[in-house]
Amino acid sequence: MTPPPRTAGAPARPKVRYLLLHAYGRGGTIRTVMNQANSLASAGWDVELVSAVRRRDDLQFPLDERVAVSTVVDLREGAYTPPPGLRGRWEERRRARLLEQPARLVPAGEFGYRCFSRWLERQLVAYLSGLRDGILVTTRPALNLLAAEHATNGVVRVAQEHMNHGTHRPDVQRRIRACYPRFDTVAVLTERDREEYARLLPGTRVVRIPNAVHSLDQVPTDHSAKIAVAAGRLAPQKGFDLLIPAWAKLVGAHPDWQLWIYGSGERKAELRRLIEEHHLYNHVFLMGHTDRLDDELAKASFYVPSSRFEGLPMVMIEAMSHALPVVGFDCPTGPADVLTHGVDGLLVPPEDPDALADATGRLMGDEALRAEMGVAAVLTASSYGPDAVHPRWEALFTELHHRRHGGAAGAAKGQHA
Amino acid sequence: MKPHAEMDEVWPRDGRIRLVGRFHGLTGPAAGGWELLLVRRDDTGRSLSHPVRVRGGRFEGELPVTDLAAAGTAGTAAVAEWDVHLTDGTVRLRAGRRLDDIRGKKKIMVFPEQSVPEAGGFRVRPYYTVKDNLSLECRAGGPS
Repeated sequence: MTPPPRTAGAPARPKVRYLLLHAYGRGGTIRTVMNQANSLASAGWDVELVSAVRRRDDLQFPLDERVAVSTVVDLREGAYTPPPGLRGRWEERRRARLLEQPARLVPAGEFGYRCFSRWLERQLVAYLSGLRDGILVTTRPALNLLAAEHATNGVVRVAQEHMNHGTHRPDVQRRIRACYPRFDTVAVLTERDREEYARLLPGTRVVRIPNAVHSLDQVPTDHSAKIAVAAGRLAPQKGFDLLIPAWAKLVGAHPDWQLWIYGSGERKAELRRLIEEHHLYNHVFLMGHTDRLDDELAKASFYVPSSRFEGLPMVMIEAMSHALPVVGFDCPTGPADVLTHGVDGLLVPPEDPDALADATGRLMGDEALRAEMGVAAVLTASSYGPDAVHPRWEALFTELHHRRHGGAAGAAKGQHA
Repeated sequence: MKPHAEMDEVWPRDGRIRLVGRFHGLTGPAAGGWELLLVRRDDTGRSLSHPVRVRGGRFEGELPVTDLAAAGTAGTAAVAEWDVHLTDGTVRLRAGRRLDDIRGKKKIMVFPEQSVPEAGGFRVRPYYTVKDNLSLECRAGGPS
């Protein structure tokens, strides 16, 4: 049987481009996008990662070799060579000047605002307005807003939101309301956020597709080690400054337990001081960055998310796939959007170290409870496996592409203005 | 694995360094008469010793940092390193932390510094070496 004829000029599968602020960085969004790209590539899609800036030589997460990577503005030392001659010298001066000027198009309240310069904005606008085909997926508000206004020459646009809406500052929220209706689809991570965006953007298609963990084939813990684990950038958002004082309350009753905090970041010295102030240098360890987080998670007996806010706490879900129960703060679009209090974890009011200490003590004192909740955690994590999540992206991209290029699906469902 | 003294806790606090751990790999039971033995790395002829309490294979001992200040950093450098051992007079066990699964302890298990103001700001800090052994780093007073 021969396949049905394709619409002229539109390939069956469009090219998918992911635009990241820094594909060479190490954050959760980057990791997630690479997982998506890898899945699409292995399913036969043509995928490109576009890094707005480049500050490093190497990618920090594994990427399928079929995925192309390109950069809009290479900020590495010596990466820029101006064209020869007078024009080159003029352009070099202009570039240097614009690199120093703050962004004008990106709202100042965007958490990545400082990474944007006038030069980067101009290069991004040029890049976006040159896109004519395929699907463009932008991955943070600054890039979403630029794509909404400038990627207007035929590319199908999908905005990803990796943070919950309430986290954004008012100026960013205003621009989101004004600009996101131009997207073909806005994709968010949790049901709570889907409802919020659907309310804010009437008439705009909002879908919830959670991030996937990289694998569900994980070694389970046996819940016997007196080790708890936490992980994340050493930054205020992650709340380790709340977790350390909570641990200080537990040491008297549970002196054998250790807390291993994985991650690196700008607040390391402050957290170290906090550990010393509470005399926790035998109990709380700043483990630094690890390339073997899977192995490390399996050594622990439970996981502690202490964030002030989240998008979707992926490392927590990874921990759950190792049968680690969870005890932590019930922060916005955080643990409660994944797990059920009392079933696969214990949640306490956000930013309340006393309550966290009480709940943590309960898990420390009850290995059977840890094991029981750990089994439930594995079940919960299974709906975040690559096989459960990634086909949803394929389905979305296929449908959007068909809508744009006619065909039965598009004609039947119509198109949003 | 050679016998060694496995460290559990190191408490640099209130002018003392308290050490808690257990004997690992000894053929017989650890009887009494054990001492903490600090040996200066660049001059192994110099040492300091302090009694430790031993019970059920575990030991606990402490030393005032003023003892290290008295032993000084004199002689060679502004920094003196003392390697921590346990000994019963016949066997000498190096103290370290080798049985847990943490790699790179030198940067992970970091202990606070204690200073001795009456010894001109002399400072002591316990640390794990790159081989996960326990040592004490002493610095003479003055800016660090």
